[in-house]
Amino acid sequence: CVDSLDDYNVDTKKAPTVTAVTLFSNSLKGLIDALVTPNVNNNNYRLYVQQWAETTYLDEQRYNLTARAIPQALWQSLYRDVISDLTEAKKILNANTLLSAESKNNQLAQIEIVEVLAWSVLVNTFGDIPYTQAMDPLNPLPKFDDAKTVYYSLLDRLDAALLLLNTTGTGFGAGDLIYKGDIAKWRKFGNSLKLRLALVIADSDAAKAKTLIAAAAPNVFTANADKAAFPYVATPPNYNPVAQNLNPTYSTRQDYVITSVFIDPMNELNDPRRQQWFTTVGGVYKGGAYGFANTYADFSKVGTKIVDPTLEGIFMDYSEVEFSLAEAIERGLITGDAADHYNKAITASITYWGGSATDAATYIAQPKVAYATATGDYKQKIGFQKWFALYNRGWESWVEWRRLDYPKLLPPTGGSAPAGLQIPVRIIYPIVEQTLNPTNLKTASAAIGGDLASTKLWWDKF
Amino acid sequence: QDRSLTGKVTAEDGSVLPGVNIAVKGTNRGSTTDAKGEYSLSVSQGSTLVFSFIGFQTQEAVVGSQSVLNVSLKNDVSQLQEVVVTALGQEKKRNELVYAAQQVSAEQLTQTRNPNLMNALSGKLAGVDIKVSNTMGGSTNVVIRGFKSITGNNQALWVIDGVPVSNANNNTTTQQTGGAGVDYGNAASDINPDNIASINVLKGAAASALYGSRASNGVIMVTTKKGRKNSFDVTVNSGVTWGKIDKSTFARYQTEYGQGYVSTFKQANLGAGLGDVAPYDVDASFGPKFDGRPVYQWDAIDKFSPNFGKQTPWVKAENGPASFYETAVTSNQSIALSGGGDASTFKIGYTRSDETGVLPNSSLKKNLFNFGGSYDLNKKLTVAATVNFSNIKGNGRNNTGYNGKNPNQGFRQWWPLSVDIAQQKEAYFRNQQNVTWNWANIQGTNPIFADNPYYTRYKNFSNDTRDHYQGSASATYKIASWVDFTGRFSYDGTIDAQEERISVGSAAVPSYIRFDRNFHETNLDLLFNFRKEITKGISFTGLLGSNMRRSYESSMRASTNGGLAVPNLYSLSNSVSAIEAPTEIVRKIGVDGIFANASFDYKGLVNLDLAARQDKSTTLPKSSNTYFYPSVGANFVFSELPMLKNNWLTLGKLRANYAEVGNDAPWGSIYDVYDKPTGIGTVPYFSLPNTKNNANLKSERTKSYEIGIEAAFLNDRLGFDVTGYKTSTLDQILPVSVTSATGFTARYVNSGEMQNKGIEVSAYITPIKTEDFSWTMNVNYTRNRNKVVSLYGDVTNVQIASLQGGVTINAALETNADGKVIGGLPFGVIRGTNFTYMNGQKVVGTNGIYKPSASSGEIIGNPNPDWLGGVTNTLKYKSIALSFLVDIRQGGNIFSLDQWYGEGSGLYPITAGLNELGIPKRDDVYQRGSDGKYLLDAAGKKIQAANPGGVLFPGVQADGSPNTVRAENIDGNSLSAYGYTSNAPRAMYVYDASYVKLREASISYSLPQALVNKTRAFKEISVSVIGRNLWIIHKNMKYSDPEDGLSSGTSNGAGGYQSGAYPTVRSYGFNVKFRF
Repeated sequence: CVDSLDDYNVDTKKAPTVTAVTLFSNSLKGLIDALVTPNVNNNNYRLYVQQWAETTYLDEQRYNLTARAIPQALWQSLYRDVISDLTEAKKILNANTLLSAESKNNQLAQIEIVEVLAWSVLVNTFGDIPYTQAMDPLNPLPKFDDAKTVYYSLLDRLDAALLLLNTTGTGFGAGDLIYKGDIAKWRKFGNSLKLRLALVIADSDAAKAKTLIAAAAPNVFTANADKAAFPYVATPPNYNPVAQNLNPTYSTRQDYVITSVFIDPMNELNDPRRQQWFTTVGGVYKGGAYGFANTYADFSKVGTKIVDPTLEGIFMDYSEVEFSLAEAIERGLITGDAADHYNKAITASITYWGGSATDAATYIAQPKVAYATATGDYKQKIGFQKWFALYNRGWESWVEWRRLDYPKLLPPTGGSAPAGLQIPVRIIYPIVEQTLNPTNLKTASAAIGGDLASTKLWWDKF
Repeated sequence: QDRSLTGKVTAEDGSVLPGVNIAVKGTNRGSTTDAKGEYSLSVSQGSTLVFSFIGFQTQEAVVGSQSVLNVSLKNDVSQLQEVVVTALGQEKKRNELVYAAQQVSAEQLTQTRNPNLMNALSGKLAGVDIKVSNTMGGSTNVVIRGFKSITGNNQALWVIDGVPVSNANNNTTTQQTGGAGVDYGNAASDINPDNIASINVLKGAAASALYGSRASNGVIMVTTKKGRKNSFDVTVNSGVTWGKIDKSTFARYQTEYGQGYVSTFKQANLGAGLGDVAPYDVDASFGPKFDGRPVYQWDAIDKFSPNFGKQTPWVKAENGPASFYETAVTSNQSIALSGGGDASTFKIGYTRSDETGVLPNSSLKKNLFNFGGSYDLNKKLTVAATVNFSNIKGNGRNNTGYNGKNPNQGFRQWWPLSVDIAQQKEAYFRNQQNVTWNWANIQGTNPIFADNPYYTRYKNFSNDTRDHYQGSASATYKIASWVDFTGRFSYDGTIDAQEERISVGSAAVPSYIRFDRNFHETNLDLLFNFRKEITKGISFTGLLGSNMRRSYESSMRASTNGGLAVPNLYSLSNSVSAIEAPTEIVRKIGVDGIFANASFDYKGLVNLDLAARQDKSTTLPKSSNTYFYPSVGANFVFSELPMLKNNWLTLGKLRANYAEVGNDAPWGSIYDVYDKPTGIGTVPYFSLPNTKNNANLKSERTKSYEIGIEAAFLNDRLGFDVTGYKTSTLDQILPVSVTSATGFTARYVNSGEMQNKGIEVSAYITPIKTEDFSWTMNVNYTRNRNKVVSLYGDVTNVQIASLQGGVTINAALETNADGKVIGGLPFGVIRGTNFTYMNGQKVVGTNGIYKPSASSGEIIGNPNPDWLGGVTNTLKYKSIALSFLVDIRQGGNIFSLDQWYGEGSGLYPITAGLNELGIPKRDDVYQRGSDGKYLLDAAGKKIQAANPGGVLFPGVQADGSPNTVRAENIDGNSLSAYGYTSNAPRAMYVYDASYVKLREASISYSLPQALVNKTRAFKEISVSVIGRNLWIIHKNMKYSDPEDGLSSGTSNGAGGYQSGAYPTVRSYGFNVKFRF
């Protein structure tokens, strides 16, 4: 009789229960892949900030977001593959009565820090997003929450998480692929993240930013070794997605070259990072035309280090933190020597990529680099150098460009380029949401001022 | 005065007929024939004997002075009087049926020797939608009375001799939704057509409910040939067919421009001095105009080519992609032996089919064995067994969809018209290397996007085997004259093995994929059959039974990781990186059912039929795993009314029924489990799955009403069967798509209703019937209207598939501008960007191209046909018979990814030639300076050339004035007026899928019986000339066969999508048949 066949509807090849750490590890992979991949279907931010140009197919560098389901790819990977696993990991942890309070708190905090980072990517990409009603499979039509409200909630959650961290307890161990359970480093990472997130609201809510940064600044990264990075390995599928898409071992495609917009100023400054980042053509670094077709053979491409499958994926690094500190000082949020932090940021970036301290010093000594003599105000100086330092980190670079409004980037014009192109300052909602969650989507679109790539987010004041 | 009379009763073919009933008219005396077909009887001269036997026409004979009276009974060809096999193998006279059932004879099926049984049914059945793929041995979509399940299985259930058999499609979901994959066909194509006596299709729930859950999509009942007692018969068929592609279903190209995205050449010296170089690294035909100038082309880079380092004329390729397709050859040989003794029958059959497809390096070999036998142990107990075994070996089956291994991805979407297929062939065969037309660089180290198509076929082919074992053993015991008992155990098992490869040197990462699957299902049926006359005029037939079904599926799919270490070695261990864990599946399903059927017949005038079944399934939560469903039906045979007897009306019957069928959940949709992605180093990963299961599911239900009228006139010269039906499938168990903001992309729910309403008509007429000549016409007509009535909560759209090109296939409700539901839409509607309209006129944007709607969720097509029709004409003159079938599909839409990309890449005639001003479309619209830059007027606007090229699309501009802006069409990267490059509304690439096809035709000649008899050895010799897919009489899709789908299944919706479509194969040949 059927009633005795209890195992018939059970999947005997899949786990009914798992430990929280395995979900946590997986979500780290999901998040870093979403940020790192250069796949045209997922992540075209390197094109928006004009580090790279396309060779043959020009849709993405001309900001077509509908020919492929690009917005959906990010939306789906963050909600379904990252935040859902983190939420589940928390659920499992909370149900675990055998774990010591200290360890549980640490692990919850680790999850929370990563989750805040993931949410910040969503909210700073799309604007209003499902948040309070998200992650509930029983509610197929979650309402969208106001982006600013979401953002402030994230800031609160990050603060709460930092309070949970304690170095007496253990966190996730080997499954913590970033720090292998080093709670002190997590505290630095959390504070560095707080610094990053707080700067975003510096234009709209300087007072709040000041409070947050004052608290965070003393506890941020202090060396390259502090970085939060994902240790990609040589074996697919845990290899760097850049290698997956651009390394000749894994793909014969020749879709990208470096732009002249990016390479020309580096050439002018004799940037020591070029040899790590680019190939040469006829012994020189040569960039292609941004926004137009380029002959692959004629221009510099990503260098061997960039397409190395084991190149680590960066959530956050020291150089970025130093740039932020410099900016915070300039904004009067904290006190200190902006030039010093600016120099440390550049030095950190150059040494990270294999240059020596001398290389960095020589580079910084150039009048066009030196903080005192470089062109423009702090936004321009920091924006320009941060743009280099965030090479190969398209999404982060895109946020900084929107925030600092430097360097001045122009959309392709003339020739075959359609008239009126605008570099996206927001990504449109996934097309599937038009049918999956239409009413809430409509409300949200109206609330943010139109579901367009030209709609500025709430914090993007200038 | 009585005297003794003896005789023998035979069938037309000479075989003896035991058990024929002989009645002396006007008396209650009679007899039956014995096992040798002989009878003896004592009668008076002048009396009339009535010979009747099921399946044969009743015949009367007047007793003269003779003492021996031999009678040959004619097969009952009447379509309304025939005996049909219904659910669970019950035999019923058509008169008794209360539901629609349509029979197809062996002759109709095998006339054109189609090796695929499913395809052979096309056009021959009303209410059945058969979509044939143009792939060799590929899958066929068989849907009866419309799509009922939103995400589940919609395929008809196949039953052989009362036993359900697998019709699994083991193609990947990616393949079924237009991505890369191989079409391995579905398992019903393994059924041996030569083993079939007849096929009966039970269309509605009332007819099929006794089969339980799986029969809600209708049942195709196959009755195999049986041996006859005291006879021996051998049939041999031998035939060959040849196939060639029907060029009207293949791409036709523009003839003026070659490889490239822009109209200029690059310069380099490849050996004969600095000169023009074809853009070998691009895969489009938006390049320079053919002018015969010397150009370094792809072969100038191939060291082994005679053209190495040489320039060749820039001209249109002499041999286009159509010449890639070869002549297919299918040889089909079969032998069938059948016969029996006094108490036993047997049949043994073997069919061998060898097919080579139209694609280079493709073949399909089938070995089909059939055995069946029965033995009467004593008068009460009969035992019987059948065994069917098939072995299918495929090599180089068709890769389908958007896939570098599908040559049509190239030929229809990304192809340079300057590349000659014959030269590609020579280049490959010179040393079996990947000499592509699409080099990544001038050194020719490797391809960039596309491989040499011959290299693909000969190196990157798949191979597969499918062993199908199916058999049953049964015993029937006659308990009393009015009741017998049957016990039957049956087994249906398949073992599939598939291997796919990408060789070292290909554009894609080298790999080897292996898939092994083992499936079996056992059924144990216990049945009591009752047949009793309750009182005079009222007879009862009944069935009481139980079914225990257990199925087991186990499969593994594994692939190499990161490349192949050693070239040409295809094993998992040859992986460059350690392989990822195989996808391992074990699924077990158990269903127990009990059922009863009672039918009462009053004088053959009225029939009442009641049935009920209760199932208990393991796939549902234990608390709600039992579900019951009833059916009721009645008929009224008004032609049996005394006042209508002996009239022009041969048969008239009205029938009506109502039925419900319950259905269980898909396996594994109740309990949640975790996915296990490949961990990093020693750190394991787990992840929540993408679909959230639901522990509160209950059974889903199909409710159907049906009414029908059957009539035959003028001695069966003319007749029809008209059925109207309405089916609702409620509480559907579906993994409804949800926003990923829920943490999942789908969730199982018990919700949604889909409705099908339709009319189906089958009719026949014999306009001419003389001794020597007859003409018969059979007509089938199907009209189904499908509607999604409700979905899930406030959800108004369930996405079935998201397809490349930015279109989706959906089950959707119709909403007004405010998002309020105002009705239901047909299943499978295509969504994408539409045209924007102003006062009914299409709006053209500032770039001269039709402006797409802001939303890509607009409904732009409905794949469901308005109606289907099939007309078979059979003309017989003496021993010559001509038969042909015209198959019609009216309406329905298809989005063509082929046109979407191919027009963008400049392949099709519309992208070249002259515009309405007589200027080449690919000429500049605007003036340029000598530096190539546009000249601007004072206002900064581009200045139109005196003789502008480009395309002027009819429509209006944003302000409502007639369009005067010409769309530029000069550059495949971005300035193309058509296809993907233009980002035109997707609605522009939705086509009407109607067709009228001459599907089958055959001329056969049977040697006259007298002549055959003289040979002594033979009973029948016939020769036929046959053809399939001979002519597409009409279609609206220019360059493809609108019927060619991607696969069978639901995941591509109702088939509204084509990507890398294969051309139709037109085949013709002959067959010789001997019977002795």
